[in-house]
Amino acid sequence: MKKYFNIFLLALVALASLTLVSCKNETEEIFDDDAITRLEKAKADFIKILTDKGGKWQMQYYANSNEPGYVYVMTFRNDGSVTISGKNEWIGYVEGESLKVPTYGSQTSLWDVITDNGPVLSFNSFNKYFHVFADPEDIPSMSDEDPDETGYGHEGDYEFDLMKYSGDTLYISGKKYGIDMIMTRLDAGIDDHVYMDEVVAMADSFFNAKIPQVYMNLPNDTRWIIKNGATSILKMFREGDDEISTAVTHNVIITHDGLSFMNPLTIDGYTVQNFIRQADGSLLCRDDNETTITADDLNKVFTIPTFIWKVDTTQVGGAFATQLNTLKNELNDYGKRKLTSIQISYDADNSRYSLIFGCLYQKKTFYPTFYLKIEPVGDDQIKFNFTGEGDAASAVYAEKCPALNSIIGLMNGNTFTLTTSSLLAPVDMKLSDSGNGANYFVCKL
Amino acid sequence: MKKIKFYISALLLVAVSAMSLSSCSEDKLGDTIFPDVDETLDPSSYTYQLDKFLKQNYLDKYNLTFLYKMPDVSTNMNYNLVPATYENSIDLAVLCKHLWFDVYDKVAGEDFLKTYGPRIILLIGSPAYNPTSGTEIVGLAEGGIKISLFKVNAMRINDFNMMNEYYFKTMHHEFAHILHQTKTYPNQFNTISIGHYDSNNWQDRSEGQVASLGFVTTYASSEFREDFAETIANYIVKTDAQWNHILDLASRGWASGDEDDVTSQFYCYYYYPDNDVTRDLEYVSEFNVFIEEDEDGTIHKYWRNNVDHDGNRIIVYDVEDKDGIDGVQAILDKVNIAREWLKTDWNVDLDELRKEVQTRQISYNINELRKWVTEIQ
Repeated sequence: MKKYFNIFLLALVALASLTLVSCKNETEEIFDDDAITRLEKAKADFIKILTDKGGKWQMQYYANSNEPGYVYVMTFRNDGSVTISGKNEWIGYVEGESLKVPTYGSQTSLWDVITDNGPVLSFNSFNKYFHVFADPEDIPSMSDEDPDETGYGHEGDYEFDLMKYSGDTLYISGKKYGIDMIMTRLDAGIDDHVYMDEVVAMADSFFNAKIPQVYMNLPNDTRWIIKNGATSILKMFREGDDEISTAVTHNVIITHDGLSFMNPLTIDGYTVQNFIRQADGSLLCRDDNETTITADDLNKVFTIPTFIWKVDTTQVGGAFATQLNTLKNELNDYGKRKLTSIQISYDADNSRYSLIFGCLYQKKTFYPTFYLKIEPVGDDQIKFNFTGEGDAASAVYAEKCPALNSIIGLMNGNTFTLTTSSLLAPVDMKLSDSGNGANYFVCKL
Repeated sequence: MKKIKFYISALLLVAVSAMSLSSCSEDKLGDTIFPDVDETLDPSSYTYQLDKFLKQNYLDKYNLTFLYKMPDVSTNMNYNLVPATYENSIDLAVLCKHLWFDVYDKVAGEDFLKTYGPRIILLIGSPAYNPTSGTEIVGLAEGGIKISLFKVNAMRINDFNMMNEYYFKTMHHEFAHILHQTKTYPNQFNTISIGHYDSNNWQDRSEGQVASLGFVTTYASSEFREDFAETIANYIVKTDAQWNHILDLASRGWASGDEDDVTSQFYCYYYYPDNDVTRDLEYVSEFNVFIEEDEDGTIHKYWRNNVDHDGNRIIVYDVEDKDGIDGVQAILDKVNIAREWLKTDWNVDLDELRKEVQTRQISYNINELRKWVTEIQ
């Protein structure tokens, strides 16, 4: 009997404790409002944010990790419509253009902020310029391989979890594929077409396919080589390392102000993601304000053996301008010849450079050529040293046109300082005589 | 001892019950935390006219929500899908009314769709591709209440065959599913083509091959239920010429160009090179066959634009029907079962339904139908 009584007491205590636990409120009152009320409030807040101040935004959109990002300008309205504008090659594809042609397109469709696990920005009617990245149709190949992507497409999102709003920037995350992106507010007066033209112009000013590689210059003086910049799928490896075994690719987006990597990169302890274009054409990291992206030293770029630099005869100054005019007159006197070109190129067979003048005579062009060596000085200077030799035509033309020797004299033994309109894509260089800056000429790749 | 055990149990029960009751007493259900949804349409909304049309013609009338602003969460996330365009949503909304809801209202009475119609129609811009099988979903009926129409962005409003195949047929196909998900059709239907369904490789079959087996489409040959829905839908929307073409295909014999290749084309004609019957026969598609009828009504079939070495036309022969199935009869039997089922279980006249749909789908003017939306104030 006692045994059963003890069992009874124990059971009673155990149950009582269990029951007491179950009686305790399950949740503390952490929030003032219930979940639905908070969610509805968040939805209303984000609708207000999106439509406020004219409702114009820039979205930095990534479909996936293997393609470049693309800027879209979006104007959200309270009537549920949104105008989406962009300029890229996929819009060109939609419009039947070549995939290589960035094309402008703008279309109005529908949007909403819906409530899922949290507030979600949904572009819920088809916009042919935006949903092209979510459409599951097969995508045309940009290379020799042509895999069938039917059912997949680019696998881009068109619904976005609204994560945070701070300083006129919305932090969003693709709902299905989870890529983090940002939207930044734009002035309502901005013209979409002009803005997108400027973005594409910015992209054109960055990476030029003629410059084979550029460099990310870290604060610790190490450099990472960047290739394929013009594709916005950057191939990167540390200078000195083996390219094949160590290179990795990162996709980037060209924005109105600069360039951003899809994800932050941590290299040698430095974390970088967003770069702003500087007045000199280089890119400066906004995150650490130190890391830059530039081409190589200008004199190294100038002396890349495969480059052919053509003198822009409309951009010469000082004594060069004077002698150039004289040369034109002398050529005219010499059987009405015309100067068609002046270029500097490398002769790999003979390990020397050539200064070549194109001279048109009766539908045939002759190229008197003068040999020289180019010596890099410091980071941005070069020194010309003519050997006094040239091809057979050079002697004849030099005799008939003394200005040729005068021009060579202006260059020979002198040091020239190189400047460019873009340190990232130095496809044009101004060569100014270091001793007399008035004497200059401009070369272009 | 048994008594003690009983009391202990009884006491425990009382104690626990008391505690449980007291613990439950504070868990009263309060007011709903979900806010009242304001059903009032905003006249300043970009989509006001369509929303008002949908409210008046679907929600208020049939208690049906017509979703054209696609929330991804409403779909199968395993598929990559995109929303429908607003413009095509308008077109499909008015076409659904004209070719589907208004038809049933007229043929079956206004209460029919109010009672048995779907409660949700969801428009989706793209097909739901299945890359593994190479198939695509163009319509879906779920749980007897929801119908999804896919591929809305590919609509070519002036291409009758395309509209018929991908949209009008899909409406009736999916609605047939809704109906049989509500009331089962006679099992006799499933016995007609038993043993000839192929759920894995139906997409590799050819139109003529499956017709000869008693199916109206290749998809119908995938399984019983799809066969049932396809039979009804095709019977309703196919023109007489199209329907007779199916029966013509069903009446023929078919042979595979390569029996080792399941994707191989099937042929219903063959010939002997140079009209030399000692040589191996070659198959030829119906598109390359020229049919000639002489004065006494005899039919001659020749390989189009080809002659033998003597300059004679090359004679074409019909492939012998060896599958042992009367494809025409099988299809007609299926239609009869569907006809009877619709009549007895639903009081719907299939032929009247077909006649009404046929009349409407060849005569509608989309610009006039769009006015239902665009002229809403």
